[in-house]
Amino acid sequence: MDQEVLRVEGLRKVFGSGAQAIEALKGIDLSVRSGELAALLGPSGSGKSTLLLSIALIELPSSGRVVIEGKEVFKDGRVHTDVRRLRRERIGFIFQQHNLIPFANARDNIALALTLNGAATAAARRRADELLEYLEIAHRARALPAEMSGGEQQRIAIGRALANSPPIIFADEPTASLDTERGHRVMELLRRIARERRSAVITVTHDQRMIEGFDTVCHLVDGRLQSA
Amino acid sequence: MNLALMDMRRHYGKFAGATVGVGLLLAIVLIMNGIYRGNVADGVWLIDNTGSDLWIVEKGRGGPFNEQSRMPQDSYRSVAAVPGVARAAPFISYTVQRQVGDRERQFTIIGYDIFDGLGGPRGLVAGRPIERAHYQAVADTKLGLKPGQKLTLGLHQYTIVGLIKGGVDAAGNPLLYLALPDAQEVLYDLDNEALLRSRANTLARLQAAGLGSEQARRLLPLFEGTSRTINAVLVHLTPGSDTEAVAEHIRQWLHYNVYTTAQERTLLIEGKLKKMGTVLKLFRALLIVVAVVIISLLIYVLTIEKLRSIATLKLMGAANRVIVSLILQQSMVVTLGAFALAYTFAQLAQPHFPRTLVMLPQETFITFLVILAGGVLASTLGIVQALRTPARMALGG
Repeated sequence: MDQEVLRVEGLRKVFGSGAQAIEALKGIDLSVRSGELAALLGPSGSGKSTLLLSIALIELPSSGRVVIEGKEVFKDGRVHTDVRRLRRERIGFIFQQHNLIPFANARDNIALALTLNGAATAAARRRADELLEYLEIAHRARALPAEMSGGEQQRIAIGRALANSPPIIFADEPTASLDTERGHRVMELLRRIARERRSAVITVTHDQRMIEGFDTVCHLVDGRLQSA
Repeated sequence: MNLALMDMRRHYGKFAGATVGVGLLLAIVLIMNGIYRGNVADGVWLIDNTGSDLWIVEKGRGGPFNEQSRMPQDSYRSVAAVPGVARAAPFISYTVQRQVGDRERQFTIIGYDIFDGLGGPRGLVAGRPIERAHYQAVADTKLGLKPGQKLTLGLHQYTIVGLIKGGVDAAGNPLLYLALPDAQEVLYDLDNEALLRSRANTLARLQAAGLGSEQARRLLPLFEGTSRTINAVLVHLTPGSDTEAVAEHIRQWLHYNVYTTAQERTLLIEGKLKKMGTVLKLFRALLIVVAVVIISLLIYVLTIEKLRSIATLKLMGAANRVIVSLILQQSMVVTLGAFALAYTFAQLAQPHFPRTLVMLPQETFITFLVILAGGVLASTLGIVQALRTPARMALGG
């Protein structure tokens, strides 16, 4: 039985205060197990990205509780962990715009995630080569992001998210900048990662066509979560 | 994995351009250091190489180098009679601009008593000292003259009999040594046309005062100026004599200003060279500030260009030291690269520079430390901006 890697309870996020206060998240409860592929669907402005940012403690929630791998990292306005270390070791991110480091080649973009976590450069590059093979893009190892297509860049971004074998991967609109065919290929890759590497993949998207085969689909409407 | 170098490789042109630009600015700073020290070295060269214990000048004057001092030529005889004085010799020094070879050159003529030798050229690199009372000269190599060559000054030709090296005045002009009467003649004597005009003028004034033509003609020699003046008297003291006591004696009884060699050096450095030193210091400070501003702007602009990458690094969990190091390293590479370039440039320029450049290692090192501190300071703006960048900037939507 796969263990629970993420539990979110009563998560609220309020922007501003007093009469100007806007409640972006209104008590979110969520549980994700390792190897689970979860999709957060919702229209623009529904709070999808805010939820992702709040769970990763990039944007501090106003209240609620976040537990990662059984460890309470946030409760009622207080952070109980080293946030940067948490992001380095336990969470992988995939962004809408890929966000590769423009001055590093494909291999070093992946190796960077490992060196930030204390790995030696040579070992990090070896591991990056393995991931490039796994992602079937080894032939582009020395290419700079500007020399790659959007699909290739997104594969490198996925490789970077996988580098430290994190138990949780957050993907924020990973197909938004790709055409449909490339988008489907990226989603297939995320499914493969969840299946083979047992990472929990939580994907934010507004495109229903991309979530075929996902284990869990949650709809976020006006800051509230509705399971499909 | 060095992110700073990776980024610099990508923006090679920007970094190379900025390094060369800042390097040239810093080269000017180093050359200005050299000019100031060179001025001091040039300024005191004559004082240090004259071998005089005391410099005696006209009362109330700061001469003979800071301002003009005129004394009767015979004044050195009364100085020579002062207890404690072993030798006293007349000295004259003035700057001229005359034709040397095929071009106009500015140089300083030193007139000295060739029989006593005090105040004359030392350390000849070619030829011999002046041995005759007239029409011989010793020149600095900078004048480009060779022993045996002739130089026309006024009405006469002078033969170069010897050469010295590095002999310059406080303005860096090369020196030309002449026997005292020759130096006086070059300085004071008028050319024939000017002499005739001067005499006609004096005659007219005497006749206007009521003198008859013959009377005025007889009185004319009395109204012509004398060239029998000097600028200073140089003194060698007898061994064991009290320098200050001798100086005080001359001040009290002969009514002259007296400076020891150390005082004469201070007078020159604090007087003639001080303003130039202050101006050079101001320019050096301004150039360093400009260099730091250029580095700051470059690093700031490159940091702004990288903000999304920096946000991504933060999102990936990069520690602040990784981000600070990225910016600081780039600032240091530009600063150190520019200094290395500046140092090399200044060293290459030194032998060809028209003024004497003296680059003191300790002064170059202090400049290096100031520039290094400037480089750290320059990265501050970029570092502050980078640290204030939120990780969420990396996310869209």
